[in-house]
Amino acid sequence: MSGNMAEKAAQNFVEAYEAARTALPGADGWLARRRAAAIESFAGAGLPHRRLEEWKYTDLRQTLDKAGFASAPEHMGAVVLPEAAAASAFSTLDRYVLVFVNGRFRADLSKAARLPKGVELHGLADVLTEQWAKDLIERRFDEARQAEEIVDLNTALMNDGMCLRIRKGVKLDKPVHLLFLAADGGASHTRNLILLEEEAEGTVLESHIGEAASFADIVTDVALGDGAKLDHVKLQDESADAVHLATLRGEIGAGARLSSFTLTLGCGVSRGQSFIRFAGEGAEAHVNGAYALRAKQHADQFCVVDHAVPRCASNTVFKGVLDGQSEGVFQGKVIVRPDAQKTDGRQMTQALLLSRDAAMNAKPELEIYADDVQCAHGSTVGELSKDALFYLRSRGIPEAEARRLLVLAFLDDVITLAPHEEVRDILRGLVSGWFEEAST
Amino acid sequence: MAAVRETVETVGEVEKYKYGFFTDIESEKAPLGLTEDTVRFISAKKNEPAWLLEWRLAAFRRWLTMTEPTWAKVSYPPIDFQDAYYYSAPKQQAKLDSLDQVDPKLLETYEKLGIPLTEQKMLAGVAVDAVFDSVSVVTTFKEKLAEAGVIFCPMSEAVAKHPELVKKYLGSVVPTSDNFYATLNSAVFSEGSFVYIPEGVRCPMELSTYFRINEKQTGQFERTLIIAEKGSYVSYLEGCTAPQRDENQLHAAVVELVALDDAEIKYSTVQNWFPGDEEGKGGVYNFVTKRGDCRGANSKISWTQVETGSAITWKYPSCILRGDNSRGEFYSIAISNGRQQVDSGTKMIHLGRNTTSRIISKGISAGKSSNTYRGLVSVHRKAENVRNFTQCDSLLIGSKCSAHTVPYVETKNPSAVLEHEATTSKISDDQLFYCMQRGIGEEEAVALIVNGFCRDVLQQLPMEFAVEAQKLVGISLEGSVG
Repeated sequence: MSGNMAEKAAQNFVEAYEAARTALPGADGWLARRRAAAIESFAGAGLPHRRLEEWKYTDLRQTLDKAGFASAPEHMGAVVLPEAAAASAFSTLDRYVLVFVNGRFRADLSKAARLPKGVELHGLADVLTEQWAKDLIERRFDEARQAEEIVDLNTALMNDGMCLRIRKGVKLDKPVHLLFLAADGGASHTRNLILLEEEAEGTVLESHIGEAASFADIVTDVALGDGAKLDHVKLQDESADAVHLATLRGEIGAGARLSSFTLTLGCGVSRGQSFIRFAGEGAEAHVNGAYALRAKQHADQFCVVDHAVPRCASNTVFKGVLDGQSEGVFQGKVIVRPDAQKTDGRQMTQALLLSRDAAMNAKPELEIYADDVQCAHGSTVGELSKDALFYLRSRGIPEAEARRLLVLAFLDDVITLAPHEEVRDILRGLVSGWFEEAST
Repeated sequence: MAAVRETVETVGEVEKYKYGFFTDIESEKAPLGLTEDTVRFISAKKNEPAWLLEWRLAAFRRWLTMTEPTWAKVSYPPIDFQDAYYYSAPKQQAKLDSLDQVDPKLLETYEKLGIPLTEQKMLAGVAVDAVFDSVSVVTTFKEKLAEAGVIFCPMSEAVAKHPELVKKYLGSVVPTSDNFYATLNSAVFSEGSFVYIPEGVRCPMELSTYFRINEKQTGQFERTLIIAEKGSYVSYLEGCTAPQRDENQLHAAVVELVALDDAEIKYSTVQNWFPGDEEGKGGVYNFVTKRGDCRGANSKISWTQVETGSAITWKYPSCILRGDNSRGEFYSIAISNGRQQVDSGTKMIHLGRNTTSRIISKGISAGKSSNTYRGLVSVHRKAENVRNFTQCDSLLIGSKCSAHTVPYVETKNPSAVLEHEATTSKISDDQLFYCMQRGIGEEEAVALIVNGFCRDVLQQLPMEFAVEAQKLVGISLEGSVG
């Protein structure tokens, strides 16, 4: 632990840990040791910075040093949702709602009664004595994985989160919606645990909203048993002063299927990381996303799919529209381990630059150690096609409308990959609203 | 598919390095190790002016502060830079007027390498500046080139005869502080070619240099500088082989290209340094910095490489597209077999308006080798209407090899249109079946498919090299290709 000025933010987190240590969930059990080990390893490494290959385009250290977040306070009273369309995005769906304010679960605002038999839904503190939760949390300590070091920060400081367990063969009747609201400024550390046992099915929706200068550090650990199916949609629209760091780690059993989609609209600096690992043959993972940025927003999408076993398929598509002085990043990697024959791994990143000052950095990587595989990746960057614009205008469509059509069509390509028709419609509405705002 | 599996297994045995002889000639070396004195020794040996010695020493002092890069996907035991000779020259060194005076043993060596100097003079129309370890032995076709005003000579001669050109351009593309190996090269470089094409001249023949590391435990640090003045054109060929040895040899070259307005440089390499034996013992460490600067408007630089040798390849021929409308091209075939490790690719830095670039990379891994494409396409804020197309395909032969693709794309200008695509696969059973049901044997079919896979790049090679390259592709995959 150095007293270095440049490490100010890391130092703050270490101090926050010392201050909160005894009050954090699981302070009297096995987790206390894990937290101690995690904070030590975090203090040693510090916050990630540009000189680390995985963080080449996003300097979290600099961002957090500049912002200087303290811990977010607990918010007790009533809350007002921001006016942004994203705040009420999933409200038309029939769903279970879990509300987290400043990173803490608020039972009084939530609505998750009468869950089907075989579905367990708890706050983090309530499941720490259960073996399955311990297994998920301790995974980080089994083997160090690349770019996951930052998860140590979350392990040390995680305060709350949603823990969902669906028993063997049970199908969740309606989506679980997690609404994370940053009502006040400050840092919050959330850990969600999702376990779907064999042949279980479920849908989890997440929305992250707020108008405060907040730092949201969210880790979602997912384990899918053989033949399980999880649909996961995450929507993020926070304030321009907010920093968002979300890590999704998934372990997928034989014949299971994970379908994940992220729409990023808000936030000053956001980083969405996904680490997917196939544990059984014949599994499938879809990790897709769209982002629409403007002003000085910076969004980094980082995705590693590890084909550790044969006969799995993965597909990653990220598409983004960049306006203003915004900057988009895509870093992806498909790893095919020795013996992971018959792998089908695909990766695509496309970005549309709408302004002179926008920038895009992409790095789709393949790392392949088996020969009988089909792997491909693609990457394109460009502006709106002049030919396409001309075509539409020659048919009497005004330029503004033509631009709108082309931008929305560009994003629609990937929104189509999101699970559930109603969800897709909601996402389309949000993107369209974003464009209206951008052009006025 | 049984036959394929079998042949894959025998690949290592069949591929015997046919250039693995070494010539026993007395040579003169610098003392073992690297100190300021070594740098002074080299500089003194070459009768260099004071400014160049200073330049070398500055690089050397800089090098002492640098650490070896570790980001490439290659692994090797640490290199002891003090356990190598940084200068080696064949002893007999009298002035030579004609080929007849050259030590017949040297000529024999070249004969084995397949560059018959004596015949070439009459036949091929290829001027060869042959580099034997560190001293250029003989340069043919000088007169004919002189007529056109082309300067084509060893670097040391250029330093003596054209110091103004060398001073102006040396280190202007790859600065002495560029990277660990380039800085090392700047301190101890001992030979290389210098090419100057005057304004408006189309070089009357293909220029070619054959580099060869002969002496045991010596590194080869050549430095090549090519300057194409306004409206000129030159095509330069470079071929590399090294003798077979148990210990590893270090090769850290620097190549700088400068293309002024409307000039075009085509640089082709066939690299076949000793790759080590089947167990990965010995072989050349090839750490090369190659960069071209399209300094003038409408200039063009094209890199073509066929990489079949070296235990480790660390090489990224790049283009800085500074001049408006300039164009950079990179065509590469990288074949790795046995325990070879290749980390190669290119950088296209778009600074000027309307600049275009094209990258075609074909990686073929066999045996237990590892083959990585690592490339960067970067578009500067002021570079309008940039166009890039990148395609990198990998072919895996056998289940113990690996192929990796690491492309970086960085854009700061919306008018840029950048496309990158990459695929990795093995030879498909369908393709094989199609060929075989038409009566083509399995081995031949594999050869056919691999040839087709490489065709885009092979086509870019000048005639003289295309034949050799095709042969090399065959040899490198012998057993699995047929």
